[in-house]
Amino acid sequence: MSAVKTSITVNGTQRDLDIDPRLTLVYLLRENLGLTGTHVGCTTGNCGACTVLLDGKTVKSCSIFAADVDGSELVTIEGLSTGARELHPIQQAFVDHQGLQCGFCTPGMVLSALALLEKNPTPSEDDIRHAISGNLCRCTGYQFIVESIQAAAAARA
Amino acid sequence: MLAAGFEFHTPADLSEALRLLADKGPEAKVLAGGMSMVPAVNLGLLRPTCVVSLNHVSGLDSIDDSGDELRIGALVRHARIVSDPAIRQHAPALAAAASVIGDVQVRNRGTIGGSVAHADPAADYLPVLVAFGATIVVQGPQGTRELPAREFFLGVMLTQLTADEIVTEVRVPKLPPGAGSGYARLARVEGAFAIANAAAFVDGSRCVIGIGAAVPAPVVTELALGSQPDDAGLERVAEAARAACEDAYDDLSGSAGYRRAMAGVYARRAVSLAIEARG
Repeated sequence: MSAVKTSITVNGTQRDLDIDPRLTLVYLLRENLGLTGTHVGCTTGNCGACTVLLDGKTVKSCSIFAADVDGSELVTIEGLSTGARELHPIQQAFVDHQGLQCGFCTPGMVLSALALLEKNPTPSEDDIRHAISGNLCRCTGYQFIVESIQAAAAARA
Repeated sequence: MLAAGFEFHTPADLSEALRLLADKGPEAKVLAGGMSMVPAVNLGLLRPTCVVSLNHVSGLDSIDDSGDELRIGALVRHARIVSDPAIRQHAPALAAAASVIGDVQVRNRGTIGGSVAHADPAADYLPVLVAFGATIVVQGPQGTRELPAREFFLGVMLTQLTADEIVTEVRVPKLPPGAGSGYARLARVEGAFAIANAAAFVDGSRCVIGIGAAVPAPVVTELALGSQPDDAGLERVAEAARAACEDAYDDLSGSAGYRRAMAGVYARRAVSLAIEARG
C-alpha cells in the first residue's frame, strides 16, 4: 500500500505529509508531529481524550484516518496557548477550579468546552453536561469540570 | 496500534468512487464519517484491503427541500440534521433522532448515509425512516435504485445495498399540515446505543410507528387512533409495538422479552410526543 499525500494546517502551520493510510489522526499528531497533548484513550470513539478541532468542529481523532483530512484545518490543545505560563482562559478556569485530577481527559474537555462556549456563551449546567457527554473523566465525577466551564463562561461574559 | 494495511482512495466525484468499487471488488469498503468503521478497523474487527472515502466527493452533502420530499445527501452530517431549519420543520422526528446520536463529536463527523448503509440495529434514524416511509437512493454500476426504507433494511448490518453500490441520498416525505412526529429511545446513559427506540407519525386517525434497536432490522406497524387517545388507546399502541417485535433479540443490554416490553413503552412515548407536536 502506498502513502497518501495529504496537506493539512495544524495549529496554523501548513504540513505537507505522506501518510500511511492506516494511521489515524491522533497517531499522526502524537507520533509524526510530536503533539502529545492529544491523548489516546480507547481508539473506539468512546472516551473523547483524542478530541481535536477539525475545521472548527470537535471530532474524535482516533476515529478519523489521517489521510482523509486533506485540505483541513486542525487545532489541537497545543494551539490554544503558547505555554504553561500563558494558558487559554478555559485552561485557566480548569486550573482555578480544580477541573482535573490526573489530566488525561483534560485536553479533550477543554476543546469540548471551547466549542460549546463559542456556540452558546451562556450555557446552563444541563447544556454543559450535554456538551461534554462525549468526554469521559474517570477521576472527578464531573462536578468540578462543570464548575470550571461555568467559570470560564462567566469570565468571557 | 496500526491496522493491517490497505489502499486508501479519496475520489473527488461519485463516478470515480463507483469505478473504484467496481475495480477493487467486494473487499473494498466505503468510508463516510467513519464513526463505526474506523473503530472497527482499529479493533481489527474489519480488515479492508481497500478503503474508498466519500469525504471528498462533491455533491453528496446537500439538503433540498423544494419538493414534497426532503432530499438529504448521504454525506450530510448528524449535527447538520439536528440544526437544519427545513428538516426541523418538515421531519422533526429525524432531527430529534439525530440529536441523540453518540455525542457532539460523533454528530460532527458521522453521516446519515453512513448510518443507513451500516444499518446497526441500534441506529437512531432507522425507526424514523420506516415510520415516515422514506426512500433510500443508491447508485451503482447499473445506475440508480430508489428503495423504500421499509424494504431496505434486512437484518443486523444487512441491507439491500450491494458491495459495488453507494447510498447517495435519503428522501423523507415532508410531514403534511396537521400531522405530527416524535422519537423516543431507551439507552443506559446518554450516548449509549439504544436498547429500544421508536418513532411515530400521526396524521388524523392514522398512526404509524417505526421500531428499532429491539429488533435486527426496523419494523413498522400502523393503527387507527383517536385524536386524543386515552390510556387504553396508548395501550393499543404498546400492544401493536410489542406484536411487531416478535424478532426481538437478546444481548448484554437486555433480553428479547425486555426489549419487546420496552418497544411498547417507547412506542407509546413516541406517539405521545407526535400527538403533542401536531401542527
